[in-house]
Amino acid sequence: MSLFEWCQWLQHTRFATAISESDWLFPLIEGSHILTLPLSVGMILILDLRLLGIAFCDGPGGKLALNAMRWCKIGFAVMFLTGGLLLVTQAGKAYGNAFFRTKLIFLLLLGINAALYQKLFFPKMAQWDSAHGVPAGAKFCAGFSLLLWIGVIVCGRTMAYQF
Amino acid sequence: MSLLPLLQSVSEWAPIVFIRDSKYGMPAVQSFHLVGLTILLTTVVMLDLRLAGLGMRDYGLSWLARQLRPWTVGAIVLVMSSGLLIFLATPGKYVDSHPFRLKMALLCSALLFHFGVLRRFTAADSVAHPWVVNALVAFLSLTLWFGVGWSGRAIAFIP
Repeated sequence: MSLFEWCQWLQHTRFATAISESDWLFPLIEGSHILTLPLSVGMILILDLRLLGIAFCDGPGGKLALNAMRWCKIGFAVMFLTGGLLLVTQAGKAYGNAFFRTKLIFLLLLGINAALYQKLFFPKMAQWDSAHGVPAGAKFCAGFSLLLWIGVIVCGRTMAYQF
Repeated sequence: MSLLPLLQSVSEWAPIVFIRDSKYGMPAVQSFHLVGLTILLTTVVMLDLRLAGLGMRDYGLSWLARQLRPWTVGAIVLVMSSGLLIFLATPGKYVDSHPFRLKMALLCSALLFHFGVLRRFTAADSVAHPWVVNALVAFLSLTLWFGVGWSGRAIAFIP
């Protein structure tokens, strides 16, 4: 079975059709996916703006990361759960969609970017709070993250127009 | 002159027609709306979590409020201008919609509450109010703003 056939099978399982045919289940999952943006992507954007020196500059940066991270974990858990459920109900339609594919590539790149940041820069963040500025590498990660997360939102919104 | 014919003539204005009829016009405006919503609700959530004492506790309340304010105001401008464009492009979807009316009522309440009430509770760090009152104000703020979001989503599903 090809991946496309598997996606179509997935979309037509009883589990998937039960969600898409329910009057309230699909709107509830879709609404949760969108309204968890502030708790997940939004917190990351704030952190990116801080690292780039655009916002929150006279406060400790490392602490902003720690304060935001706790809520981010909950946010992203909800995002992946609701996003996964939405995908199951529309897998066949999403498979060939250029915006969906772009969104997945962006998410993969963002994952790699976040892992690199976590390994290279996160342990040193507490030191930046003093007079020393944010290193160029960390700023690059932040700018990359800012642009691609906005790209993820744009792709996610646009793909819905093509279903 | 009643409102609907006026709105319909605005919706035939060339720039609005361009947005509505070009392939990526509406998705682009909707994307601005969604990015604005993300920034706006993030600033609201951060401030309310801090007010209720549940998060961002490494920062002073009034400092956080001052830092967030320009982003909240900027995001409100972005969401409302993109929202107005969406409304003007397809007024027929909204004028008779019950969730849309609820959304507008909640939006007005949320704005009044944010700049009338919440602002006073976040202006100073001194513990002027008992925790329960602060938590209640934060809860009301979140309920109003997320109510705007949920009623916005409901427009697509409920007449």
